[in-house]
Amino acid sequence: MSKGRGWFVVRRLGVVLSSLVAASMLVFVFLNVLPGSPAEVILGTQSTPASVAALTIQLGLNKPIWRQYLDWMGGLVNGNFGVSYISGQSIGHEIHQALLVTGPLVLLAMLIGLVIGVPLGLTGALYKGRWLGSVVGGLSQIGIAIPSVVAGILLTVGLSIKLHLFPSSGFPGWQDPWGSLRALVLPAFALGVVEGAILARYIRAAVMEQLRSDYLRTARSKGLRRSQALRRHGLRVAAIPVVTVLGLEIASLIVGAIVVENIFALPGVGMMLLNAVNNRDLIVVQDIAMVVVTAVLLINTLVDLSYQWLDPRLRGRR
Amino acid sequence: MLKSRKTVIVAVALALTTFGFVGSGLASASAPTTLVIGSQVAPPGLDPTSNASAAIDEVFDYNVYQHLYQLNPKGQLVPTLATSYTLSPNGLTYTFKLRSGVQFSNGDAFTAKNVVFSLNRAADPANGYPYQSLVSDVASVTAPSDTTAVVTLTHADSQFLYNLAAYSNGVILDPNAVSTIATQPVGTGPFTFVSMVPNYDIVLAGSPTFWGTPPAMRQIIWQYFANPTTMDSALQSGQIQVIDNLNSPSNVSAFKGNSAFQIIAGPTNGKIDLTVNNSKGPLKSLKVRQALYYALNRPAILKTVGAGYGTVISSDQVPGDPWYTPSVNSTYAYNPTKAKALLKAAGYPHGFTLTLSVPPYSYATEAAPLVQAMFAAVGVKVIIKPISWPLWISNVFLGSQNYQLTIIDQVEARDIPEYGDCSYYFNYAGCKAVNQMINAANQATSDAAMVTGYKAVVKKINADVANFWLYNPDQLTVAAKDVIGLPSGGLTESFNMQYLARSGTLSPSLIAQGFLN
Repeated sequence: MSKGRGWFVVRRLGVVLSSLVAASMLVFVFLNVLPGSPAEVILGTQSTPASVAALTIQLGLNKPIWRQYLDWMGGLVNGNFGVSYISGQSIGHEIHQALLVTGPLVLLAMLIGLVIGVPLGLTGALYKGRWLGSVVGGLSQIGIAIPSVVAGILLTVGLSIKLHLFPSSGFPGWQDPWGSLRALVLPAFALGVVEGAILARYIRAAVMEQLRSDYLRTARSKGLRRSQALRRHGLRVAAIPVVTVLGLEIASLIVGAIVVENIFALPGVGMMLLNAVNNRDLIVVQDIAMVVVTAVLLINTLVDLSYQWLDPRLRGRR
Repeated sequence: MLKSRKTVIVAVALALTTFGFVGSGLASASAPTTLVIGSQVAPPGLDPTSNASAAIDEVFDYNVYQHLYQLNPKGQLVPTLATSYTLSPNGLTYTFKLRSGVQFSNGDAFTAKNVVFSLNRAADPANGYPYQSLVSDVASVTAPSDTTAVVTLTHADSQFLYNLAAYSNGVILDPNAVSTIATQPVGTGPFTFVSMVPNYDIVLAGSPTFWGTPPAMRQIIWQYFANPTTMDSALQSGQIQVIDNLNSPSNVSAFKGNSAFQIIAGPTNGKIDLTVNNSKGPLKSLKVRQALYYALNRPAILKTVGAGYGTVISSDQVPGDPWYTPSVNSTYAYNPTKAKALLKAAGYPHGFTLTLSVPPYSYATEAAPLVQAMFAAVGVKVIIKPISWPLWISNVFLGSQNYQLTIIDQVEARDIPEYGDCSYYFNYAGCKAVNQMINAANQATSDAAMVTGYKAVVKKINADVANFWLYNPDQLTVAAKDVIGLPSGGLTESFNMQYLARSGTLSPSLIAQGFLN
């Protein structure tokens, strides 16, 4: 059995690696057919055909495309993200700095989403058909309907401009841990509220399905109360679809971070990506895309592995 | 399981209240020697000699890097690293007397050798300076002594000193520091570079080696806000003290009438143009161009797009130009009846269709529908085509120049020679004649003759309607009431921070140069 499990992990890693290579090719090709060249953006309205041609050679953009791809991949494999065309700065360092903002932001948003979604979802399922259940259902509908942009602006006006509880924008850097956490609270709420509302609906549906199941009826018939039966037997099974959604939602949180970082002026990966696309800083865009792809693949792998832990029936299978 | 979840909820709730209440006590109050300036466009890098981005020059030019001569906020030349100059009678040789006792921020001494190195570096096309063409007429630079530098030109150029002062090709560099210019700027200016978080902020500190009076602000932070509403909130809540320029002038209403803020509207070198491709379709005809220019209600466009902050212009000129001719601006006043008559005379009684390529700048996207409505009123249909900035450069500005109309702020100072460049994207038929007129004006030995020469160009391109010049926008700086020493306008690429302070008064000589008290 343990051999089976080991094989499963190895196979999953193989899938992750080949997916990464495929993703790198797709990202590279799509970005390189994007019209507009870094040399032209650097020179702006001072571009002349001659100056653009000279700068293109200086940047190495005249090399054949397969060569550019191999140079880039060779660097990535060795942990070298390269140097930005536009700023001349080390991209690895910049991404590292940006991840120190976006990583905590996404985790905090996820936490807020769980804190909101789990109790709401459980309440919604257990009190279905009563007034409390309806209130919870309504709240989660509203939560889903609010875009994080609007949530962000409402939170800023209420908690930062009116009450001065949190800064309206900006990020002091982790040398000031309290200040940095405070700066992330509002953006994380703006992201997390929506996630919480979505989670609440999935949890409610999953728990309700278990409440109707045969095995829970059996558990109750041996004398357990409904909440006891749910806690001992039902929650674990209900967790499977919820964990799946959670994995997918992390990817959407990363996308949401682009919008939220923009509103709250946070120097995260989303902001970096947006500026890099606008400046046609292609290597930066490629690198960030690969970091996000890697993160999403790893999360999906963890989700797959967690099924085996959550559902003993899957452990024997491959 | 439920119990542990409860604990998590309580812990998070506690943590949140802690950040909220205890944290607010920890927030650092801004010391009077620190200033935070908000701006919308983050510099894509730190090196003004390899990137044309105005956002780099705004922070680093004059503040970290200095020139021999610089411009004050009124656009006048001020001796900086040079103390004086003489020009030979034939207009070819500039001899600069240099300031002594000047150090770079790394401790290296400034001498005439730095002038030789910097100007040669700028003039060599291999180094890719964005404004290289402006110094392409430098024949040689020599250093007869540590405090004398001699620049010889291939032909007389009345704009040489101005161009050297106005653009980043005039920055004086330390050869020992240029290999790290992209990450560690070193100059002779009042400020030194401390750190940058890309797309977020740049921190500068007062330079301990600066040769002049040390700036009152010991630390200046430039913070960047992609979202203008966020930036306005940051100024209102006191997180920042200055907004360099409101890109959407209508946002000024958030600060107007509030005594906590000062609003400074001053001239820029910008010309917001409805740019014409003179070689495309009906636009080739002078009568058509005249008709469409009459169809534009430019004061109304300035009022809507620029919130009224600016000057309506009818040629490539701004009030700061030495050859500024105000009378030209009263030509082609809004007259739709005349426009229709001219279209009929040009053979288009039923109008035609034009495509307007609109780059993603607020002035362009706001002006485009106004232009569309005004042209529709005289029977010309306009299709608005949004276009990204990289594509604008590739397809409109360079390459195929495949466009009919576009809207752009031509921000460069004294850029009227572009009308003499036949490969420029206006495709203006009079380019050769204008080029000759400009060459003659540049070689004029008297200022009066030079100005007369340029005035003739201003009038010629107006008569030919080489472009639909809309207006010269103001720079709209908003700041907390207590900030003094702000530049009165945007006639320089640099946002000069040397005299910023949060108390005291400015000397009359600085006020005369255009710094505000």
